[in-house]
Amino acid sequence: MTHLTMDQLLELDEPGLEPGTAQARAHLTACAACRAEYERLRQRQARLRALPTLRPARDRWPVVAQRLAVERRRRLVQRAAVAISAIAALLLLAVSLRPAAPARDVEGFAAEAQIADLMERSRALEAAIGAAQPDQRVVDGRTIGVATDLEARIADLDRMLEVQELDAPPGRGDMQRIQLWRERVGLLNALVDVHVTNARNVGL
Amino acid sequence: MESYPLANAESVVARARSGDPAAFEALYRAFESPVYNLARRICRTTEDAEDVLQETFFEVCRSIGQFRAEGSLWGWIRTITASKALMRLRRNKYRDADELPDEVPSAKREDTALRMDLEAALERLGETSRAVVWLHDVEGYTHDEIAGMMGRTASFSKSQLARAHVRLRGWLGEESAS
Repeated sequence: MTHLTMDQLLELDEPGLEPGTAQARAHLTACAACRAEYERLRQRQARLRALPTLRPARDRWPVVAQRLAVERRRRLVQRAAVAISAIAALLLLAVSLRPAAPARDVEGFAAEAQIADLMERSRALEAAIGAAQPDQRVVDGRTIGVATDLEARIADLDRMLEVQELDAPPGRGDMQRIQLWRERVGLLNALVDVHVTNARNVGL
Repeated sequence: MESYPLANAESVVARARSGDPAAFEALYRAFESPVYNLARRICRTTEDAEDVLQETFFEVCRSIGQFRAEGSLWGWIRTITASKALMRLRRNKYRDADELPDEVPSAKREDTALRMDLEAALERLGETSRAVVWLHDVEGYTHDEIAGMMGRTASFSKSQLARAHVRLRGWLGEESAS
């Protein structure tokens, strides 16, 4: 009498019927040795499921959290760069479409010049942050927290600036835009401090 | 199939989708053990399992927006874990040829002092066989699902499982006397 192979015993518990399974079931009913083998297999599988849950020896969350923070920072910087490009394009468009007649008064031109200056300072500060290569360095959790907070606030300002550029009629809202750009420059200054200080410490 | 309930799961997932770091940590704390356990059962070393744990949660936090609420959260995380662990096996190029020779005496020469316990026997299986045993017998994946994750056929998965059980049976001294 040929006993059931391990493949055939395992097949008995698989969903669906395959050729040979009915025959194997009939054999199992008639053969005490195969029934015992089948029972041992099922017990072994039950013991496998009952093995204790293994737990990690150390907490890996800080490492995951740090990688997530770096990823988030990279995305924010990318988004800010896109927003600045969009704002610059809109400004150019607004300037090119402006009537040749003296529609804007002296205050208007002064405000525009001030905004252009603040935008230039923003770009310079962002270049300084890029040169510090914050993504390439290991930083402590507190630094990440401060940098992430600053970047989130900058992203908020970018959204507000975008709304201002799109919604405010020409010549209106200049003071508010100047204020937003000033805040942006201030926050970027703080972010440069965080990254440059950290870079120096790493250098030491 | 084991499940790992997370209190306020819907709320935690919603907050994680909006990028809330506290929600990410809540997910980690809830599923850290089952993820590590699955990774450790498949990978050869604790270091590899810890790397898989880390990579899994990085992926979970990045891709939480892709999780469909009608599915099982643990089922989704488990599939990511299994894929990462199997990827790690492929990367490390472990081969079943590394397996130790089958030198444990059979039940016919039974010596209880030489019998292995199930943990040791499982650890002794080759990488692929152990992964198939765990994914099929413990996690409840079908041969088709395992084949999909491993990039092999269902027949391959079935033969690995049968081969592994023959070995386990011998190492555990469970062979029939007939």
